Amino acid sequence: MSIDKTQELVLNMGPQHPSMHGLFRMVVHLEGETVTHIDPKLGYLHRGMEKLAESRTYSQFIPYTDRLDYLASPHNNWAYVQAVEKLMGVEIPERAEYLRIIFGELARIASHQVCIASTALDMAGWSAWSYAFRDRERICDMYEMTAGSRLTVNIMRIGGMSAEPPEEFWPALQSFLDDTPEMLEEYYGIFFGNEIAMGRLKNVGILTKEMAENLSITGPVLRASGVDFDVRKAEPYSIYDRFDFKVPVRTGCDSYDRTIIRMDEIVESIKIIKQAVRDIPGGPIMAKVPKVIKPPVGEVYHRVENPKGELGFYIVSDGTTKPSRLRIRPATFINLQMLPIVAKGWKIQDVVAIFATLDAVLGEVDK
Amino acid sequence: MENKKLSRYVDELAARVNGVVEESLGVLVLKVQAPYIIEVLRGAKEFPFVPCDFLHDLCGVDCGDHFEVVYQLSSLHGPQLLRVKAIVDRENPVIDSATHVWEGANYLEREAYDMFGIKFKGHPNLKRIYMWDDFEGYPLRKDYVTEPIEVRNIVRTRIEGE
Repeated sequence: MSIDKTQELVLNMGPQHPSMHGLFRMVVHLEGETVTHIDPKLGYLHRGMEKLAESRTYSQFIPYTDRLDYLASPHNNWAYVQAVEKLMGVEIPERAEYLRIIFGELARIASHQVCIASTALDMAGWSAWSYAFRDRERICDMYEMTAGSRLTVNIMRIGGMSAEPPEEFWPALQSFLDDTPEMLEEYYGIFFGNEIAMGRLKNVGILTKEMAENLSITGPVLRASGVDFDVRKAEPYSIYDRFDFKVPVRTGCDSYDRTIIRMDEIVESIKIIKQAVRDIPGGPIMAKVPKVIKPPVGEVYHRVENPKGELGFYIVSDGTTKPSRLRIRPATFINLQMLPIVAKGWKIQDVVAIFATLDAVLGEVDK
Repeated sequence: MENKKLSRYVDELAARVNGVVEESLGVLVLKVQAPYIIEVLRGAKEFPFVPCDFLHDLCGVDCGDHFEVVYQLSSLHGPQLLRVKAIVDRENPVIDSATHVWEGANYLEREAYDMFGIKFKGHPNLKRIYMWDDFEGYPLRKDYVTEPIEVRNIVRTRIEGE
């Protein structure tokens, strides 16, 4: 008698699991070590942001957006305040636009560094984790100088920026920009160039171009599947049309490309920040906006390219001081749909790799 | 240019399904009744030259006497944008599922069901996504009663001598 089939095992991973990036839980059905089915369970961090927004004024909701994707909080501020500005028809000063670009791109670098670090950590690469987090601290320091907080910075306002960076910000930024090529070399040398890391990530979890488009995937995950789509180029918001940068695209469709594409994006972000620092004009950082924000009756859908994908805000205004409906389109919530489809047939340790390269932040997934 | 082309196709589609075309801040909005939604989405996906073949977002909106399901469509290969709104009856909120047009509508529809109680016919796994399974009510409806602040204050006050 031969045994060619083992009993199905149902394994619960999370919410308190080191590789689950917050409070994510999935029920994994296994046959031996091979995954037959994954059932993700969301909602452990659900705070009801959309409901909260309906009882707060437009300005009061800005700090809440920080708590969505808390690794790139300036981007969430940006998406929200721009949506409100679009609805009201407010033009903001040039200097504020440039400062938004600088902080937005710094946030992109910080977020990608966390992704690189945590992917390495999930593959048991402890030392690579500490290198990337060490470098991210410098971005947090720059946030702290300007806004006073290190993670949820709450730096943008409807009509401009909350604070002008202090004098010591600019040398700190310059030295950070000068050091980045070396940093990227270090990450590559210590982890991504490593044979074991390549073995764990290469050709694991293939997400084809057609699947990605059908599943509404956005961000680096989509671009690693060979689709050249970036909101910054497709529908340039703010002043992105003035900058010279490329959109990195890779065609590997696997976990390795999904991680390494973030290194390429850091290089492009550095280019953008350098141009912004060169061209930034003087002047005020806040436009004249009324004390009580009261957008006209109407609706707007505004999207920006968050480090993790497309972040959209759909606001329906009824002409009062509070939004009638505020809808957040979270990038990683939608990207997460690929996990049960892609991970099927892989071993349990590959599921950890696939999930890590999605770069899910549960603050954004659960809202 | 694209917008003009798109506008022509949207008008044609609207005539076919008895819909209304509006414009809001430069984006075309097509409003239809719920039963036509799949025809509209399939039609928009196959517009010649300016296909709206990428589903960005799907969400519910409570408009008082009815619900709306709002679809944000665009393309990965062009600047076209289209917003489709399906009007859903409040007493019996049922609409066809878009998961057969885009697989990516799966979680979005589960969320709309969770928050508004809109039932998507033909959805493979229509269960609550954020709230627990035996949760009662639909939180984002305007008539959903949250705990009033007085009740919360009573709970938080310490009883004398405790």
